[in-house]
Amino acid sequence: MRASCFFFVAACVCLRPAPAAAQWIDFPTPGIPRLADGKPNLGAPAPRTADGKPDLSGIWRAGRAGEYGYDYDVTKNLKPGDVQPWAEALRLKRVQDFRKDSPLANCMPVSVPFLNLRGLSRIVQTPGLMVILYESPNSPHRTIFTDGRSLPKEMNPTWLGYSVGHWEQDTLVVTTAGFNDRGWLDVGGHPQTETLRLTERFHRRDFGHLELDMTFDDPKAFARPFTLHTEKPLVADTELLEDVCENERSGAHLTSGLTMTPEMLARYAGVYQFPSGRLAVVKVAGAQLQIEDSASPLDRLFVAGSETVFLSSLSQIAIEFVKDSKGGVTQLVRKDGAKEERAARKADTQ
Amino acid sequence: MIRRTIAAVMICAGTAASAGAQWVHHPAPGIPRTKDGKPNLTAATPKGADGKPDLSGIWSTDPTPFEEMERLFPFFKAFAVPGDDPRMFTKYFMDVFADVRPEDVPMRPEAAQLFKQRMAAVDSAREAPTARCFPAGIPMGDLLPLPRRTIHTPGLLAILYEGINPHRMIYLDGRSLPADPQPAWMGYSVGKWDGDTLVVESNGYSDRSWLDGMGHPRSEATRITERLRRRDFGHMEVDVTIDDPKSYTKPFSIRYTQTLVPDTDILEYICTENEKDRAHLPAK
Repeated sequence: MRASCFFFVAACVCLRPAPAAAQWIDFPTPGIPRLADGKPNLGAPAPRTADGKPDLSGIWRAGRAGEYGYDYDVTKNLKPGDVQPWAEALRLKRVQDFRKDSPLANCMPVSVPFLNLRGLSRIVQTPGLMVILYESPNSPHRTIFTDGRSLPKEMNPTWLGYSVGHWEQDTLVVTTAGFNDRGWLDVGGHPQTETLRLTERFHRRDFGHLELDMTFDDPKAFARPFTLHTEKPLVADTELLEDVCENERSGAHLTSGLTMTPEMLARYAGVYQFPSGRLAVVKVAGAQLQIEDSASPLDRLFVAGSETVFLSSLSQIAIEFVKDSKGGVTQLVRKDGAKEERAARKADTQ
Repeated sequence: MIRRTIAAVMICAGTAASAGAQWVHHPAPGIPRTKDGKPNLTAATPKGADGKPDLSGIWSTDPTPFEEMERLFPFFKAFAVPGDDPRMFTKYFMDVFADVRPEDVPMRPEAAQLFKQRMAAVDSAREAPTARCFPAGIPMGDLLPLPRRTIHTPGLLAILYEGINPHRMIYLDGRSLPADPQPAWMGYSVGKWDGDTLVVESNGYSDRSWLDGMGHPRSEATRITERLRRRDFGHMEVDVTIDDPKSYTKPFSIRYTQTLVPDTDILEYICTENEKDRAHLPAK
């Protein structure tokens, strides 16, 4: 496979949500109920189509990056063991590789859950057919058939699957199968497999709020089905932007993390204290360091970029360990962009 | 030179194979049928709630008669990629000036220079935007024999392509074209009715997109007017006028028809997924 366009992976993770805040189109969306001051009345009743069903059409924003945390990790609420060992091992391998083979870095559509959990999407609902357009690299779209058909018995595996929907009262229930095994369910790299069945329940609570429950049923990857609840606010007076992958040069420069032995990693384990009193607890987790820090609770796995610098698997945060002349680790420096914080080592263990 | 040009064209044509092999076969609801259950493509044009024609459906552009294609592009057949049927193409996909004598093409000198460069470039086939999985844009993406789905709702016409273009939005809510649009592969489009013809005006195009397979250039000043008339249930007439005063001395038009493709769906097609062609395209 030769990918034609790449984004630097870390840049994707950090920067993708940016367009949402910077839509250049500002045209008052017609048909939106407004308050006296002209602002959209997002608490007005949900609009309905000619057949009396809720009309889900509109531009919707997923939770901001990390708001639910599911975009980083769809298994966030699961217990250890709920993720099949091979799937967890594959995720950790992807983390260790700085996710350089992630579909996003290769301008692929990633997966339905990922697209539902990140960025803007536009729903266009018509009788018998609903489409969802995503503001994501190369503008992926889905077609959801609501004309009464069933899922085909045999499906050509695709990134975004084959979707059919039906109404249960005011909730549109969409069942999707026919996925390929190349999608990533989240930024972290939990695998999508061909046996995944995804059920989405869309409920437009009022004009400005769309509740979305996603149920993952994939016995190959997870010990039991599980459901994530999210809510999407309507984004008024804007449009989706075109997003064409244009930069194929970064990919070749992406590298995997350094592999260090548990003994080498153990030298950094311990409790570190920032001047504010905040603690950072560093533990060895397989081939990586797990760093518990209340400043970035979701951002825990760090991969060795060099012997002393560990890079977040999710963000631009880097942790550099400082040694004294005898080689003992005395402090860590947490770098978040231009911001730098130092924490002194308090103890070897918690 | 012609051989290279044709090769550049066929990069796109490689995607055309799927058109004849749609695996989804589901009788589409709402299609009038003859007694034997076949779609009746000459039934009356469907109308929306506002009484205007409903342009929804899956459409594919009709081919130019093959004899004419052979006359215009003698090497065309020889360069068909396995899986392609060269009889499926319209001449305008190859050359938006197919009806114009070469000496009458109203290109300005700078545009002619760029066109010549593209034609002569050792790597011309590899430099076609579509060879890099960039969008074919408008009108090129509509001139491929690939099905695309039009979804017509009050206020919005959405067009979904089978991989060759990102989705396209045509706003029917009365807004005007932006005065200072952000250049995009798909441009910015608004439409209004002229009787039963939808007139779509577009601007905001990136100058990186080629107008056709040969590489006729465009500038960011390009404005396109499309007139869409759904003549009956299964047939749509399309007039496209391209006005790019920076590249051409006068506006010019192409006219083609598209036919409804019933009982199927457009397929997921991810160009970046398996892009192996480009390295094998002739460099010399």
